[in-house]
Amino acid sequence: MAELKKIIIDTDPGIDDAMAIFLALESPEVEVIGLTTIYGNVYTTLATRNALHLLEIAGRTDIPVAEGSHVTITKGTKLRIADFVHGTDGLGNQNFPPPKGKPIEQSATEFLTEQASLYPGQVTVVALGPLTNIALAIQSDPAFAKNIGQIVLLGGAFAVNGNVNPAAEANIFGDPDAADIVFTSGADVLAVGLNITHQVVLTDCDRDKLAQSNGKFAQYLCKILDVYFGYHHDAYSTKGVYLHDPTTVLAAVDPSLITCVEGVVRVQTIGITRGLTLFYNKQKRFGEVTEWSDKPSVKVAVTVDAPAVVKLVMERLMKS
Amino acid sequence: MSIVQSDGFSVSDNGFEKRREKIIIDTDPGIDDSMAILMAFQSPELEILGLTTIFGNVTTEDATRNALLLCEIAGCPDVPVAEGSPEALKRGEPRIADFIHGSDGMGNTFIPPPKTKKSDKSAPEFLVDKVSEYPGEVSILALGPLTNLALAVKRDSSFASKVKRIVILGGAFFALGNVNPAAEANIYGDPEAADIVFTCGANIDVVGINITTQVKMTDMHLDKLRQSSGKYAQLISDMCKFYRDWHVKSDGVYGIFLHDPVSFVALVRPDLFTFKKGVVRVETQGICVGHTLMDQGLKKWNSSNPWSEFSPVSVAWTVNVDEVLNYVTEILMKP
Repeated sequence: MAELKKIIIDTDPGIDDAMAIFLALESPEVEVIGLTTIYGNVYTTLATRNALHLLEIAGRTDIPVAEGSHVTITKGTKLRIADFVHGTDGLGNQNFPPPKGKPIEQSATEFLTEQASLYPGQVTVVALGPLTNIALAIQSDPAFAKNIGQIVLLGGAFAVNGNVNPAAEANIFGDPDAADIVFTSGADVLAVGLNITHQVVLTDCDRDKLAQSNGKFAQYLCKILDVYFGYHHDAYSTKGVYLHDPTTVLAAVDPSLITCVEGVVRVQTIGITRGLTLFYNKQKRFGEVTEWSDKPSVKVAVTVDAPAVVKLVMERLMKS
Repeated sequence: MSIVQSDGFSVSDNGFEKRREKIIIDTDPGIDDSMAILMAFQSPELEILGLTTIFGNVTTEDATRNALLLCEIAGCPDVPVAEGSPEALKRGEPRIADFIHGSDGMGNTFIPPPKTKKSDKSAPEFLVDKVSEYPGEVSILALGPLTNLALAVKRDSSFASKVKRIVILGGAFFALGNVNPAAEANIYGDPEAADIVFTCGANIDVVGINITTQVKMTDMHLDKLRQSSGKYAQLISDMCKFYRDWHVKSDGVYGIFLHDPVSFVALVRPDLFTFKKGVVRVETQGICVGHTLMDQGLKKWNSSNPWSEFSPVSVAWTVNVDEVLNYVTEILMKP
């Protein structure tokens, strides 16, 4: 039997992060070898706590959790925390008891670079938050970009509006400088942006089905989903929620669920469009050298089989 | 068919009198600008109050010369040409697209200089004066960087509310730019000015290159034009040679994009387009300087952002490609 794809999930749990983590644990195609934590939906300390908690719920305390950066790559401390989307505890205001476990001694960056060099070309990082840890790994270890198998990241809004403001998607907005480092690092990067994840909607009706199933994860998630559904209803007037993180995990698990195109992505780091991801598909030739010239290519997801993604999410969360 | 009378009214077929639409074209001619200007002169339903000039395809000085030439060629040497700003509000010496339009801006046809002189008024002065003279009646077709319009907005706080409509060729909405992946040339030429104009509250229709690059005149169309008895067909055909060769090199297109003529059509035949309303801002910093970003209004933002509290503009969203191309070629082939 072929080796399972090893994945590390870099995450800021977060309600859809919780779904994504459970989904990865229920995916026989991959082996989750660690979680690394980051700020975004919550602060990093709470992200670590929630990551440990979720692994305890899943009975997978064998999986290490490495705590990541508390600040942006430019040492920025004024972070944008989306507690209004995920609740103040990041998990739908359920006041879960604190986890028993502890994070490992290694930092997220150390863990990422070590695993990538232990298993060169075999580790996929699924990055579900701002890209600070990944950028730090790239900066701290010149071999990381080459050693890492693939970086599948949830981030950006390609030729659509953002979700923090019209220009920017939340994860990229969280640390635009780090994102630009990752996109131009030369690593094998696949970006799954809002243009994709806004197509993948878990409806009220799907949620009822989850509630009626006996799946352990389905039961747990239904408790925490209230806040997330409430936010979507107010902000987007939709009867359902976007499956940002689960879609990204599944893009790593089964690449056939999406199609992508190659080109150069740069991130705007200042100004009113700070956090804008701008993708150049290399079709048009420009008369002058541009900021996109001579930069390594990445992959950007452009289509998704949304019904298949939702179906897979439902199946795997209900059977558990 | 309509007959133009000397008093500025035209009589249409059904006998109803219709006031001719007053327009000012702000322009940097430019090959496709020349096409749009000559089309305007071939449109009896329009009353061209004047041309104002700007840098872009050529320097402002050359734009003025070319604008005067085009008025002469059209047999309207009395149409005033007011010269605009030689450079952007904050960006110093402009980038000139002579590699697209030739060193004379007219495809290296080197037509002898005009006999007429430019107006004593500056372009912003001219724009403000005409718009206050005819409040609610003047439409502006802006085909270059928006410096003159921004200066008009700054000069007269009532300009934005008095102008009837501004149709802008500029930006790339949810699409690649043409100067670099982020920016379209007209907006890139003066991003600060563009941001002032887009947020000034005027009635604005903007046509980006996401729309204009859908409308191509192919080599076949260009041949047809050359063989036609269009009043300006030979001149335009001669100018277009240089322009066409650049399109082959740059975009692999055997033909030309009709940026300015399409924007002209948006002015006279808005029914051939659909528009979406949203606030548009222009980035003035960083690698994406000149990027036009529209809030489509799909999300209710939970806090204020740089798009909040500005008036929306109309962004051209779709174009009836066949009808627009027909409209353009018909005017160009009109004897």
